[in-house]
Amino acid sequence: MDTFLEEEEAAGKNSAAHTRSSTLLPGLHLPFLPPHLCQPASSQEHKLNFKKSKEVCLRYIQDAMLQKQWKRAAEFLSFYVESLEKDFSREYVNPSEIIWRVGTEILCHCSNGSMREFNSFIEQMKTFGVKRYLKVCLEHAFHLLCNGLIDDAYQNLSLAESWRYGEQTAIQDKEMKLIQAYRGLLDYYSWSKQKNILLEHGLDGFENLSVEQEMHSCFRKAAVNLKEIIKIPGVWDLFVKCYVDLLEFYGDYNEAHQVLSEYAYNSKFPANPNAHVYLYQFLKRHGESKKSLISVLKILHDLVPSHELMIDFNTMLQKSRKRKRCRLGLEVIFAVLDYAGWKENVKAWSCLARQVKQIAIAEKHLDWIKQEWNSRKDWWPAFHFTHYLAKRNWKESESLSYEKAVVAGILLGKDCKYFKYVSHQGCKAQVKRFRILKKFVNKHNPVYLRISDPSDSSLKP
Amino acid sequence: MEFPDVLFPSYFGCGPPVEEGGPAPAAGWGEQGQVLEADPGRCQTETMFVPRRGGTGESWEPTEAAAVPCVPPNASCWIPSLVPQDILYHGFLHRKLRGGRSGAALDFAKQLGHFFVDHPEDAFGSLGRLLHRNFHLGNSKLRRQARDTTIRMTALMEEIDRLEARHGCPRQHLSPRLRWFSHLCRDWLFEVPLGLLADCLHEELLLQWAGLLFDDSLTGGALAWLPPEEVGAQTGRLVYPGGQAMNHLYFQDVVLEELPLAQGSPVQFELNGLIRQVAAARVDGEDFVGVRSDYHCGVWRVPARMGVAPTPLQVIHTSVPASCLTVSPHLPGELAVCTQSGSVYLWSVESGLQRLRHDPQTMFFRDHSPWRWSDFTAHPRVLSCADRTGLQCLDARAPERCHFDLFKVGEEANCQQGERVVLPMYLGRAHPSQHLVTTQFSMYVLDERLPLVPMLKWAHMMKAPPLFAHLTPGGPRRSHKVLLGSSHTQELLLLQYQGGSRSACQLAGPPQKLHPITSCLQHLPAQLPHQHHLLQQRLGAPAAGLAAAVKEEGLRESLMVFQLSEAGDIFCQRLTHETVQAPAPARTSGDETTAAPGSSPLFEAPASSPLGLGCEEEEEEEEQTFYLSNLEVIVNEEEDAGTPAPLEEPELPPQPCASPRPCAAVSSPAAALRYRRWMKGLSKMRRESPRRSWPLTLSQKRLFTRKELEVPAAPNPLHGQARQQLRQAMGEGGGIPSWEPPQPPPPVLPQLAEPSGGADPLSSRLTAAWCGDWGQWWEERSGFNRAQRQRALRERRRRQKRARGRRSLSASFTSSLTYQSELSELSDSGPPLPSPGPLIPRDSPQPRQRSPPPPASPEEAALLSSQSLRCRGIPKERRKTLRDYLAVWAEGPIELPDPPGSQASQLCIPSSQSQLSSASQPRRKRPRMGF
Repeated sequence: MDTFLEEEEAAGKNSAAHTRSSTLLPGLHLPFLPPHLCQPASSQEHKLNFKKSKEVCLRYIQDAMLQKQWKRAAEFLSFYVESLEKDFSREYVNPSEIIWRVGTEILCHCSNGSMREFNSFIEQMKTFGVKRYLKVCLEHAFHLLCNGLIDDAYQNLSLAESWRYGEQTAIQDKEMKLIQAYRGLLDYYSWSKQKNILLEHGLDGFENLSVEQEMHSCFRKAAVNLKEIIKIPGVWDLFVKCYVDLLEFYGDYNEAHQVLSEYAYNSKFPANPNAHVYLYQFLKRHGESKKSLISVLKILHDLVPSHELMIDFNTMLQKSRKRKRCRLGLEVIFAVLDYAGWKENVKAWSCLARQVKQIAIAEKHLDWIKQEWNSRKDWWPAFHFTHYLAKRNWKESESLSYEKAVVAGILLGKDCKYFKYVSHQGCKAQVKRFRILKKFVNKHNPVYLRISDPSDSSLKP
Repeated sequence: MEFPDVLFPSYFGCGPPVEEGGPAPAAGWGEQGQVLEADPGRCQTETMFVPRRGGTGESWEPTEAAAVPCVPPNASCWIPSLVPQDILYHGFLHRKLRGGRSGAALDFAKQLGHFFVDHPEDAFGSLGRLLHRNFHLGNSKLRRQARDTTIRMTALMEEIDRLEARHGCPRQHLSPRLRWFSHLCRDWLFEVPLGLLADCLHEELLLQWAGLLFDDSLTGGALAWLPPEEVGAQTGRLVYPGGQAMNHLYFQDVVLEELPLAQGSPVQFELNGLIRQVAAARVDGEDFVGVRSDYHCGVWRVPARMGVAPTPLQVIHTSVPASCLTVSPHLPGELAVCTQSGSVYLWSVESGLQRLRHDPQTMFFRDHSPWRWSDFTAHPRVLSCADRTGLQCLDARAPERCHFDLFKVGEEANCQQGERVVLPMYLGRAHPSQHLVTTQFSMYVLDERLPLVPMLKWAHMMKAPPLFAHLTPGGPRRSHKVLLGSSHTQELLLLQYQGGSRSACQLAGPPQKLHPITSCLQHLPAQLPHQHHLLQQRLGAPAAGLAAAVKEEGLRESLMVFQLSEAGDIFCQRLTHETVQAPAPARTSGDETTAAPGSSPLFEAPASSPLGLGCEEEEEEEEQTFYLSNLEVIVNEEEDAGTPAPLEEPELPPQPCASPRPCAAVSSPAAALRYRRWMKGLSKMRRESPRRSWPLTLSQKRLFTRKELEVPAAPNPLHGQARQQLRQAMGEGGGIPSWEPPQPPPPVLPQLAEPSGGADPLSSRLTAAWCGDWGQWWEERSGFNRAQRQRALRERRRRQKRARGRRSLSASFTSSLTYQSELSELSDSGPPLPSPGPLIPRDSPQPRQRSPPPPASPEEAALLSSQSLRCRGIPKERRKTLRDYLAVWAEGPIELPDPPGSQASQLCIPSSQSQLSSASQPRRKRPRMGF
């Protein structure tokens, strides 16, 4: 009777659930039903079935692995392998993938680096499914590379490259491209090895001819594959660097320049600061004009104002005679010091101190400072120039506190807490430059007044 | 602020995610991700590669077998949270729900029924008052002239009783009388139009259900650790909520010894709402603590010096619940606040609130969730804003113009379909420009300088979305430790990663699971089954916060991990890291059998059986062999510590992640002492408030049964006979062969001496006031001498029981069942408010004597006081009638009168079989509906 009722109710619920299902969806698509919602099943449901056992077994495996009990996990995995026998599941992740992942992890941690065992396991895994073949190959190659077995990895990659099976999915296509790219990378490494041999032994001699030929063939193989992958949007720092190195060696500067500017400026690629850095370094290597260097760095400044190259940029701009560039230099160095990561960088502070000092002495472009300061005056004092920081900076680095005190003295006047504390301590410690600094700030106090005065019309903002 | 020279290769796409989302149970294992040349600057003959994932990390070993309590138990009750059985149709979860793609059936009618029963005044108040003359409650025949205008309710009640008895019968029909009544009354009986009420209720149910599936109000966690000022010092502060409603904020000094030890009593603040989140950051040697409750956010300043009290600085009130509060690590007294209306504010204690954005829509694609989050970035004026679809960075100086996308749920980060941002966090202490983003599937480490492309991505495989995260930055050449925690499953995961400035980000070492709070259950002293169950419920409460502290002693470092539960308990565990690491064998439990030498267990390939040949029988057999080899472990797999509902088998070991051979580690003596102390504290607390140990039940079976209204006759000879028979059976130790059904046993009037002292409260209070010992009277009433009163009550119950026992054995049985609840209800009713006048005529209204306590009379008076009658939803006009009834039988045992609405209401619901079932069994505690 009861079961009959339950069935009837279940049928009723089915329809009810269907009609309301749209409104009762969880707000977040959860990978599993939240465990606190799983009720203790009734005695009937408790009947062990295959699927449940599988799930439980997997949970034990995960549990053991998360507690680093690799051996225990391995034992459970040997039970779990049985789940392959009835793998008719249409689930998103099927048991063979799980076995591959879990098995790899366990072997990485507990086989004491026995490569033979690992390789035979992976070879078995490769036969499990066509869908994952390329991925398994790629990961296998990674494992070999990380263990220093570069030749094995190369063989593996070439083998995987020659694999064909029906029509490739988009993901497989991507994986194949990666496999080719990594093979190209390994080709590049063997090329550079041979190049080094040739450079060491000189370029003449009969036996070197074969080395040279091999080197060129390596170049061709590497260049083809590397060129292919860097066309696709992505982060390819490693590949681009290698490819440019190849091109530069063979004197193809135009191609190299084109590759680098494509990598930096193609809008389909992510805004990778490294792309700009590579371009900058390339241009610098080849003695390009200052103007082009500045334009590259200007773009980098717009993208990542806190980049470390900004210090170089600022020095470059400060040296320039053009007013516009000096102005940009001030902007750059102010922007750098906005970031928490540069807060205690002596170099950056000394750049700013130097430039601000220059302007204060010349009393020529005070409006530049005023403009920069306007957007910062409400938070820089609390961010950079507190009493607490003065104490700490003084304790940790005298030169940092000196540079900061210069800036504080000019921007905030002689009554600024930071300046007062540091100059006081400096004078107490009888350091000469602090005494000079005190005099300097006292002398140029009108500068501060003019910067902070909102009604000063002589400085047009 | 260096940027890595070379990043790991990755594809970059645009648009919606391509990869299908689904449960991927082992997705985080076995992948290296990509490889990169290690240290390219170094000249070496052989190029070396490093993987993105799979490197070696530091080893952190737990020192205890389970989490250990860190502060005394939260000294008040914990109301068990809502369980699905409360609001789901028969507590049934639809199978399809497992995939998260389909819904469940809400038991809407039951809840509506509960509403009518619990709030009859709101549901039927005015019409009840108007019509009470037209309802007759007695059993007597109606007089002729009254018959035209009056309905005899007793008959209807009987019908309902009969209906209940037949509950579950497929052939059941509503009796014509019931049908007629419900048709007649459905349209006008209700105070609130039924349709409107139903809409509201349904909406509320949906909200509750959504909260059960995923509750994001706790995001961020309500536990914070304020480290000591100097590096070497050992005393820090824990900030956490507590109290009955989790509305007290505690600042507790904690000494980091072997196990963290609370020192002194905490500084306490009482707040105006449940504390959802506690966030803290240290700026210039001072800690700023932000506290978020639904409609209020507050900020405290805590000087790092110990012994200086925290000072509250400012409170803001929001009209929409706030969903996020983060404290700036750059500038003192700055916080970021988000509300569910889609607004993001920069809150400065000095200059007030500045709204940066207001957009009820989500950023990148449409998602219903009103959840918003905001955090700080490397630039003190730039804030990150998040919703479920991604993160954006805004410049507070020009929020409209200056912004860029930091993270998008999409192909950019190689997300899965259905993936949503759960918790973003600024990792400034590890690296100034790094951010952590967790989703229900993965965790990402992002760098502001290269937005949209994750520096690191790893599938965390947690069962519930990680709502809490904590960062312990590692120094140079050390890995950063990230703790992820989930709420309902109490999962804790320790990850390590390194890089970000010179080298690219790498995940270091395998993830590690830490002990959840429930893990300590098996180490606690043995308990009686029902107490064990309560304990299990308490320990299984969802986690509400996460914090960690580092302690260094020479070469040995310890990481103390604190976990807060919704019940307000804080547990901690210690992990130690040895700087010199031996290639130790895998930590295994003692009784583990090692695999056969020379062969890895992985290669014990299964007996190859042809696939696809499986006829039914063969499958059976295979399953059998599977079970045999797989140990019989599956029995209690679904036994979840977090499911408090069924009291069926409380003894089952509650292990959410039970494994057949759990670590048999024994807790250390220090930990054992902690456990004992904690249990002592808990039981003491329970003794102080007995009602907490028992779920409240409220009998709503019937208003008055005929039996109760009948005139009691003289003691039945049958009784004596039955008693004799029973005694005899007990003496012999046998059973009673045949029991004559006790025919309607005439109840015996318990001959209780009713001392005349029990006057009505008002006059007794007045008298007391006149005599000058009003204070004592008040104490007496308000339950300071609760123990005494309980004794009195118990005495009364015992007498009543005895009296009933004389009457009918079965009655005594039921009464003992309800004993606890009734007792607690009475003892909890507190000081009944003065009633307007003497209800039951008494001879001499003297002040109530303290000892011996007059059994029952004040409580009965309280029962009959108009106040309490009103509380029970009895209309004023009817109270008189009721009192008359009760006055007649005042000395007899009184069932708690139940609201009349309960019956009528149940009739009026378009009923299916299940709705009436609630009446037949003691109800579970009502879910916290919004009413």
